[in-house]
Amino acid sequence: MGPQHPMTHGLWNLRVKIDGEMILDVDPEMGYLHRGIEKISEDRHYNEVITLMDRCCYVAGFSWEHLYILSAEQALQLRPPERAEYLRVLCDEFQRIASHLMWYAAFVQDLGLMSPFLYGMRDRDLVLDLFQSYTGARMTYEYMRVGGVRSDLPLGFTDQARKVLDWLSDRFGEYDQLCMGSTIFRERCDGLGRMTASECVAHGVTGPMLRSAGLKRDLRKDRPYSAYDRLEFDVAVADGADVTARYLVRMEEMRQSVRILRQVVDWLDHHPGPVLADRLPRWLGAPYAPIGNEGYLLKRNYPKGVGFSSVEEPHGEAQAYVVNDGGEHPYRVKFRSPVFANISAARQYLVGYHVADIPPIMGSVDVCVGEVDR
Amino acid sequence: MQPDDLSRQLTGTLGDRILAVEPFVGTAGRVRFRADGALDVFRAVRDDLRFGHLSMVGAIDWVDHREVFYVVWSDEAKQYALLSTDLPADAAHVETASEIWPSANWHEREAWEMVDITFDHHPDLRHLLMPDGYAFHPLLRSFKLHEPEELEVKSRRV
Repeated sequence: MGPQHPMTHGLWNLRVKIDGEMILDVDPEMGYLHRGIEKISEDRHYNEVITLMDRCCYVAGFSWEHLYILSAEQALQLRPPERAEYLRVLCDEFQRIASHLMWYAAFVQDLGLMSPFLYGMRDRDLVLDLFQSYTGARMTYEYMRVGGVRSDLPLGFTDQARKVLDWLSDRFGEYDQLCMGSTIFRERCDGLGRMTASECVAHGVTGPMLRSAGLKRDLRKDRPYSAYDRLEFDVAVADGADVTARYLVRMEEMRQSVRILRQVVDWLDHHPGPVLADRLPRWLGAPYAPIGNEGYLLKRNYPKGVGFSSVEEPHGEAQAYVVNDGGEHPYRVKFRSPVFANISAARQYLVGYHVADIPPIMGSVDVCVGEVDR
Repeated sequence: MQPDDLSRQLTGTLGDRILAVEPFVGTAGRVRFRADGALDVFRAVRDDLRFGHLSMVGAIDWVDHREVFYVVWSDEAKQYALLSTDLPADAAHVETASEIWPSANWHEREAWEMVDITFDHHPDLRHLLMPDGYAFHPLLRSFKLHEPEELEVKSRRV
């Protein structure tokens, strides 16, 4: 199945060995979207890698920017101001909602339900409108910077954000009615793609898939980064370990994101301040500034170090490892994509089911090929 | 868990297979181990220290040698730890971790095709992101994206 198949949501290929309608074995084939982001990063200035991060996962650009920024800051020994931390959480959580809505729309469409698709896309657009109002872009933002964020919010943003949050929190009940209240949905999803918590841990499966098996691991709680330790929220879990449970976990995560965002928006209203570190070395602002009329580059001594960061991306646990050897480009950048690990375990949750079960099961994995292939 | 705890628990059973345990920001520490004792180290880290989840395997080409690093997570301690081993560039091979942590499978395939590290006894060592038969290892430092360009600027006549 693939690379041109409605189930794939991106370019990849699933080789399926079948006996009649039974799945005997599967082998995902990746690499159709490989752009060599890790290699290109070795040739870019630290701030220029952010552009690539947006393209890494095109439905969750902010989460990947945040991931890279955290490890680059650690490698370069910088600290952002507090307001920037809250702005990053704002970006992350709105991004989580946008990504889950995109997933919801695509997933229910795989099952043949058309109206939820339209509702999901409609509500995602409201979030993208917010992104556009302060970054100028709807999908590839280039907003975060090593040492803070690019700019503060425009006037009236928080009121607009509150309106969107109110609208969204009213919609979640409607989504549930459309899906959990639908016999067709339940019959296509219940009991499919089971994977127990211990299997998930062994195969490196993270994110909503892991939490749907009842294991409460969320890096925002277990290993708080940015401002997450100052915010109240619960970790969404379910215990069905099947497709329906993954749906329930993502829906609950969106409700929790709304809860986080309300606190963040209130905080931002009352705490004005700088959004970029003051003592930011000049080379981070202007990497290739010419000196006088001569066009030569400034060679600078960067602090040597390694940065390691890990964030809870909408799909699961994402990691970055940035090695900095004192040059003006990262020496090596390595990313861990949650979907990469989730797809690698495909044999565990597909074998034994029927061919017609592949679209709902793969849909519940929430595949984003951009971050698998990088 | 602190680097000292890691070091105390590991060196007791593994002896000189552990070279050093260093502090590493944001994790329990970085364990440097000898490549020939890799399997024992993996087993001890998973079973004795309860690091049940292997998040990532990566490799770095340091030109004179290569490094393979493993990031593991413990749900009990809620902490990461790093394991790393240095390999000679002309014979870069290490035992596969996929017997201990099945999640290592794809990460090792990627490290093999990108940085040319051979994982001994790997169940399925073939290309993952690159097409079959691809002869290069793109993340080696010797694989250049482009040579620095020299632009010749000619004066324009007005």
